[in-house]
Amino acid sequence: MTDVSLAVVLPLLGAFVLPLTRHGILRSLGPVIGPILLAACALILFAAWSAYDVPYAVALGSFAPPMGITFYIDDLALLFALAVPLTTLVLWPGESDPAATGRQSLTLLLAGSLTGLALSGDLFNVYVFYELAAVASYGLVVGDGRSPAYVAAFRYLMISALGSVVGLIGIAIIYFKTGTLNLADLSTLSGELADPQGLAAFAMLVIGFGVKAEAFPVNGWVPEVYGAVGKRVAALLAGLASKLAVLVIVRILILVFPHDETRQLLLVLGILGVAVGELAAWQARDIPRMLAWSSIGQLGVVFVAFSLPGKAGVIAGVTVAMHHLVVKSALFLLADRWDRAIESLKGAASTSRIGAALFVLFSLSLLGLPPLPGFWSKFLVLGGLAASASPLQLLAMGTILAGTVIEGAYLLRVVVTFYARPDAAVRVPGQRAGNLLGAGLFALVLLTAAVMINPLWQGLEVLAERAVDTNGYQHTVLGDREAGR
Amino acid sequence: MIGALDSLFLLALVAIPLSLLLATSRWGRWLLVAGYVIQFGLLVTMVSGSSPPSAVSFSLLGNDVGWQLDPLGWLFAMITVGAAGFAAAYASGEWGETHAAHGGSLRWLYGGLQINVLAMLLLLSSADFISLFIGWELTSWSGLILMLLAGGEAIRAALRYIVYAIAGGMAVFAAMLVTSAAVGSLQFDAVQAAVPSMSNGQLWAIALLFIAGFSVKMGTMPFHLWQAPAYAFSPGPASAFLGSISARMGMFAIALVAFRLIGVTQLDRLAIVPDWFDLRDLLAWIAVFTAILPTFVAMRQNDARLLLGWHGVGQGGYMLLGLVMADSLGSAGGLLHVFNHASYQAILLMAVFAVIHRTGTSDLNRLGGLVARMPLSFLAMLIGIIGLAGLPPMNGFVSKWMIYRALIIDGHPLLFVATVVSTLGTVLSVYKLLHNTFLGQLRLEHETVREAPWSMTVPMLLLCVVVFVTGVAPGLVLQYVAAAQQAIGLEPVAFILGGVEAGSGSLDMLWISAILFAGFGVGAVLFYLMGGRSRRVHQLDNYAGGHFLTADVQYQYSDNFYAGLMHRIKPWYRDTFAWTESALVSVLGIVSSAARGFFSQANPASWALVGTTVLMTWMMWHALA
Repeated sequence: MTDVSLAVVLPLLGAFVLPLTRHGILRSLGPVIGPILLAACALILFAAWSAYDVPYAVALGSFAPPMGITFYIDDLALLFALAVPLTTLVLWPGESDPAATGRQSLTLLLAGSLTGLALSGDLFNVYVFYELAAVASYGLVVGDGRSPAYVAAFRYLMISALGSVVGLIGIAIIYFKTGTLNLADLSTLSGELADPQGLAAFAMLVIGFGVKAEAFPVNGWVPEVYGAVGKRVAALLAGLASKLAVLVIVRILILVFPHDETRQLLLVLGILGVAVGELAAWQARDIPRMLAWSSIGQLGVVFVAFSLPGKAGVIAGVTVAMHHLVVKSALFLLADRWDRAIESLKGAASTSRIGAALFVLFSLSLLGLPPLPGFWSKFLVLGGLAASASPLQLLAMGTILAGTVIEGAYLLRVVVTFYARPDAAVRVPGQRAGNLLGAGLFALVLLTAAVMINPLWQGLEVLAERAVDTNGYQHTVLGDREAGR
Repeated sequence: MIGALDSLFLLALVAIPLSLLLATSRWGRWLLVAGYVIQFGLLVTMVSGSSPPSAVSFSLLGNDVGWQLDPLGWLFAMITVGAAGFAAAYASGEWGETHAAHGGSLRWLYGGLQINVLAMLLLLSSADFISLFIGWELTSWSGLILMLLAGGEAIRAALRYIVYAIAGGMAVFAAMLVTSAAVGSLQFDAVQAAVPSMSNGQLWAIALLFIAGFSVKMGTMPFHLWQAPAYAFSPGPASAFLGSISARMGMFAIALVAFRLIGVTQLDRLAIVPDWFDLRDLLAWIAVFTAILPTFVAMRQNDARLLLGWHGVGQGGYMLLGLVMADSLGSAGGLLHVFNHASYQAILLMAVFAVIHRTGTSDLNRLGGLVARMPLSFLAMLIGIIGLAGLPPMNGFVSKWMIYRALIIDGHPLLFVATVVSTLGTVLSVYKLLHNTFLGQLRLEHETVREAPWSMTVPMLLLCVVVFVTGVAPGLVLQYVAAAQQAIGLEPVAFILGGVEAGSGSLDMLWISAILFAGFGVGAVLFYLMGGRSRRVHQLDNYAGGHFLTADVQYQYSDNFYAGLMHRIKPWYRDTFAWTESALVSVLGIVSSAARGFFSQANPASWALVGTTVLMTWMMWHALA
């Protein structure tokens, strides 16, 4: 039963061992350590998944909860935990320049901490892994050593530092009020946290973890960072890291703060995110920033989805999040070589047919063309909003729909530029085979999901039911002990 | 043994990769035309109206999704496949080769055409809202393929189109979700049963959202700005196909949702001013303004394709007007007009593109006198404009007559007058088209222009036969229109072979055409009795006011046609809608810059701090309240 925690430990170990392979006999091992470890993690998680039946908790170091560190494994955790090594493998920075070892080490660090975020069952652990991921991402963002990357990284650092401090204060308030940081224990005490201080603590936690989740108003770093860094790193951050941050917020929301006010907070932040993201993207002049703003918009939709109460919210949120993970990562991979102004990419389709075709496929899925999965994710979110029909939710529905129209305008502007006749004077770079392969893999996943909607739906129903079952969570982690506080 | 509908879907699906592969060779294109003929034949076998549902049905996310063709969808499907077949035939010979020689993609022309047909078939045979939406979105996006083909100026028009189309699609999506929330199911039968028990507010929301979303595709005002350029600038056969039937998918959807699912009795619950002005009246007035204003915009156009495109918008207004009358005569007129318009719009566009093929231009100020050079195209265009203007004996007259009659019978004199104003504009405008292209003085550079090749004239002439025959014997089409009316719960029209039988005055085109031709016959007999003298003169043998003119001297000007009329009504052309559209875009640009400004400020952490404070205060206030 400690297998699953290996999925967290192995990448961390690898991160620390990797620099040793820079010189000497281990030099040939260097490039393969990372992929091997990630593959091992994926296998471990697959094994855990096939052996999985009902949710269970793992007490690390055999310290019984609520003391010590707990890992909680249910469908939701496994889904996100599995997504981490798989996505990191596809987005693995495989270049062999001198800085490669450092970059790969940081990527492994990021992977390990994100897996930890998915599995964690207490706030302390969550915070530690979150900070670990943040530090890894600072390093990755700076990695190239170019000045725009430094500026962007500093911006990121400032906002992230502020967010972390605020988040820590929030955690401190919770600890002060309840004396525990274990999520299951806090869940039994959620009534105590429904007062002004508790809700303020939730707001601070949202700010803290919202930095990575590209939540409004702490997403000022996003366009600059995604514009300046290597696009594989951008894909990791936008596609993967942001989802795990959202997962953390959602777990806290469901378990500890299941109130209408907190859901409303997420809803409002989501609406603002969609509006600001899509509007800003409309005038984007280069591909990476366009994708960055689009990513902010999509994460706004994720927030709106998770703000829906009950099972419907979790299903909608997970669908949108997973869809965005696949599509945005793939789009950033395609943007790796096309990392420039849109005008200068005129006729890109003639240089890379497959790349342009894949771009069209992902754009159509983002816009929600049936029968692609993007349509179903929108259907679930908007269907949930239409069902409750409070004024704020109708506003959210209108914002998401209007956002889609704007999205269509700017995505198609790019597509049309790709398929225009190329300018004789400007040379458009073609795609690298590695990026095309990665994007192709994501496309395969997308199309498979499009065909297998029903089985996925059934799986998601079970996932959501278990995720919202707070009593089950408490029971599983704390055993038969009642909440004695 | 798969049913006819599934065979049709399968054939249409298989024909897509076939089109992409075979379109570059002449025999391949003929094979694809044969494919359309087979698809048409399959549809003919489904005419009985009670075709079984498609075997393709599944359950998605707890909703049943299926397809079934009812008589309303059948009528539109026949027009769709027919239009596509004629367009494919038009492009199969010389036109296709010239197009490919100029760098056009025949693969994507034929492939796009077939994708459109499949998407429209999926839309027209939907049995629930999810299949409807799937068909709707696929239709919108496949239309984009055809519009983007020509490149150049077509790109801007296509982008404008797709933004409108996505907006309309999102309105339909919203309506669908509100319906699902209100009814608990997305099946048509369930929705139809649940409508009477809906509150007025819910019904208003659903009706408005659906009709607005469908109207965007239809091109009804105020969503009409995209249609004319988008359809006009696509390559010839694609333009003919899109112009004849594509926008009418919106009409189908409105007929389906507003009349079959909601129904007239329930629609009449939606009153704006009780007992005086309700939603149907509003739609009727919107329709009539759509019929008038774009028609007069068409009159101003100097590009023949745009002129026809704007007429397409205007005629859509007629169709909607007839439909919302919701009586037997008016709605039959509206539905019949869909068929009629498809037939003559295809002819007109084909004729215009034949002229472009031979002369290289569609600019009405640079053409003229082609009647002797391209007599068959002239004949086709003549028959087409008689149809478009709505004069006997062509089919356009019948549907327009039915709509006028319905307006008078139902007591809408103002609407009737407005419709007549629109027809006046149509008549003037189509004469300009014919005159500037074929009549008047032949230009020197067009002296060696020949008639269009058989591959282009034969489809045109076949359609002329259709227009004439269905004009003289409209009962042939009216029987299917009556079946469609029954399918959407309206009273079917009492038709006879020659027209309609109405208590207060029937229409029998057989008699009218007979009298018309008798009149011509009398005139012809008199002419030949009096010697039948005619003398052939060379077209460039010009003579005016006592001295000879050389052929290059332009003495008959046809630009600024209707100068007098235009001088009078010019102040009325205010481009209000275009101005509003660009104002909206500007506002969007300003807001977008503001949004971007948020991300480029010097110290973003300050915003984070402000945000934190605001959120904390909000949460604490919530808990205290």
